[in-house]
Amino acid sequence: MSSHGERSPDADLGLLDATMIGMGAMIGAGIFVLTGLAAEIAGPAAILVFVLNGVVTAFTGLSYAELASSIPKSGGGYAFVREVFDDFSSFLMGWMLWFAYMIAGGLYALGFAPNFLELLHVYDVTPAPDAVGAVALPVVDAGVPIAVLLASAAVFLLVGLNALSTAASGSVETIFTLIKVSILVVFVAFGFTSPMFSSAEFQPLFPGDAGAFSILPAMGLTFIAFEGYDLITTVTEEVENPRENIPKAIFVSLGVTVLVYLAVVGVAIGTLGAEGLAAAGEAGIAQAATAFMPTGLPVIQNGGAIIVFGAVFSTLTALNAVVIASSRVAFSMGREEQLLPSFGQLHHRYGTPFVAILASGVVMLGSVALPTQSAGNMSSLFFLLSFIVVNGSVIKLRRERPDMNRPYEMPYYPLPPILGILLNLLLTGVLVRYLLRTDTLALLLSIGWIGLGAAAYAVYVLLRSEESEEEEPDTDQPIPGND
Amino acid sequence: MPSHLNVIIAGGGRVGFQTATTLDDRGHDLTVVEQNPERCDAIADEYVATVICGDASRPDILQQAGVESADVIAGLTGEPGLNLAVCMEAAEMAPGIRTVARIDNRERAGYTRFVDETVFPEDAGARVAVNEIEGSDVRSLADVTGSLDIVEVRVKEGAPAANKKLRETRFPAGTLVISDDDGERVARPDTTLTPGKRYVIAVEPDVVDEVLNLLRG
Repeated sequence: MSSHGERSPDADLGLLDATMIGMGAMIGAGIFVLTGLAAEIAGPAAILVFVLNGVVTAFTGLSYAELASSIPKSGGGYAFVREVFDDFSSFLMGWMLWFAYMIAGGLYALGFAPNFLELLHVYDVTPAPDAVGAVALPVVDAGVPIAVLLASAAVFLLVGLNALSTAASGSVETIFTLIKVSILVVFVAFGFTSPMFSSAEFQPLFPGDAGAFSILPAMGLTFIAFEGYDLITTVTEEVENPRENIPKAIFVSLGVTVLVYLAVVGVAIGTLGAEGLAAAGEAGIAQAATAFMPTGLPVIQNGGAIIVFGAVFSTLTALNAVVIASSRVAFSMGREEQLLPSFGQLHHRYGTPFVAILASGVVMLGSVALPTQSAGNMSSLFFLLSFIVVNGSVIKLRRERPDMNRPYEMPYYPLPPILGILLNLLLTGVLVRYLLRTDTLALLLSIGWIGLGAAAYAVYVLLRSEESEEEEPDTDQPIPGND
Repeated sequence: MPSHLNVIIAGGGRVGFQTATTLDDRGHDLTVVEQNPERCDAIADEYVATVICGDASRPDILQQAGVESADVIAGLTGEPGLNLAVCMEAAEMAPGIRTVARIDNRERAGYTRFVDETVFPEDAGARVAVNEIEGSDVRSLADVTGSLDIVEVRVKEGAPAANKKLRETRFPAGTLVISDDDGERVARPDTTLTPGKRYVIAVEPDVVDEVLNLLRG
């Protein structure tokens, strides 16, 4: 991906590349890391959770498609909202989206650690990851340090790489995504044919006495798995014929993603059982795979190693993608003078948005100290909020600028954005209620971040008005010799 | 001033569209207002600007183009009257905005009461055409505020001034040799006009012919 703005990047990404960028973000880390957590909350209904999330995001997908085709900017949700809303609203949108990506980075790093340990475990280098797995409390625990250390190392590595050189291009992303998808296909193929699956037990579908409503908090938690659109629309300027290809890429990647999730989660629950999957947490898919994949193969010894490798690979590439995405939001905000101007500048030596990347890295490192579930919850919460704003922008733009050229107009307007807003609001409400009950820390941190943003904005407005007062006398005076 | 400008271009024809494309390359934010729906689609396909399809002289269309938050508005349609109207309306709606209007003659002075800048595209187009027609040995580089020409000339073998030092050469009044051989240094009295090398020269219109004679023979 090229840096935003300085020069218009060449439009050399085709429909396939754009689709792969979206799928790469949606398939991968989310499926490996969140499946276990979803199963913990929703039991076998975790299958439904992912499908329903796909349906909910489809409405927002329509809004993204319309905005991306009519606003020719590479900047994703923030750029669209900036075009439509006033300074403070767009600042808040950028601020939330930036946070969502940074916390997602923490989540993927945290997902990387147990999967990496599982990989080492497959080769008997370390004991089973349960010994060092996730813990429910954020306070220091004997088991935490190794996983946190690994997660921090991953963040350091990728932040460093991205700060020092420009990121990999879209075609590399295509190869990465193809690797991930083929690994998952292997997983599904072996899973369906394994004897464990034939005795699969999907009953009772809904665990406990909460019944069908238990899937709602699980939907909230795993919503982050579907943030891929924003990534597609951050590279629109590099896509050939974007007015056709962007909407197509959004819908194709969403459709394929839902199918893949359906198959993978189905197999994972069918083989490991919802309880087993829940117990495995972030390394759920990996452990399911080690359970049914053939062993005693040459070189790799254990068939499960392929899947575990897939999990490690996916979490790392997803981490890389969100390092880029988060710094890009901060970079755009810097260029719009909504953050310090240094955020919007390229480094003279490395040619990267250095300050934006480092700042994002700092927050990511901080979020690594969170439990995986809190990171997932917070990131999902902020994606839900920003998707509400994106749907709102479509409505506002249609009302305020009826004559704007819209190469792609969504069908059945205004139903999709209204449904998108309502469903996202519903999930936000459920998630907040769930957090109140189980994870007040995540909720407090989220409120804290918004408060911090509001304070930063107030300071900025104050500084700006002082600055313009200082400047004013200058502009009023005639400049000698300029007439 | 922000690092990039928020620009509205009224008129998405050849001039307007080319301007939008170049500005987009430089990282500015563009909104093009264009009346012809087919033209609107064509511009949207190029993905350089947000497109508002409508008559730019209508206040509600200018509103939709975001005139309040724009830094500059440029009226670049083929109709000078419309361009002026758009600029003046915009200045009324958004007092701080800079206005640029495309006009159809060289008499810029009369317009400065109404708009900040004027553009006469045929002027620039003609300059490029002249450069191409004459070949690459003599090129106009820029159009300065007045009528002064800045040209780059390749000295021809056998021309009167060839191989002479500047202090020995008597250029007509109204000439200033700016650069040394191939633009490496600023010209000095001992600069030699070597055949085959290029020199940048500022020259007033009535002596261009004489200067070219000295350098090209």
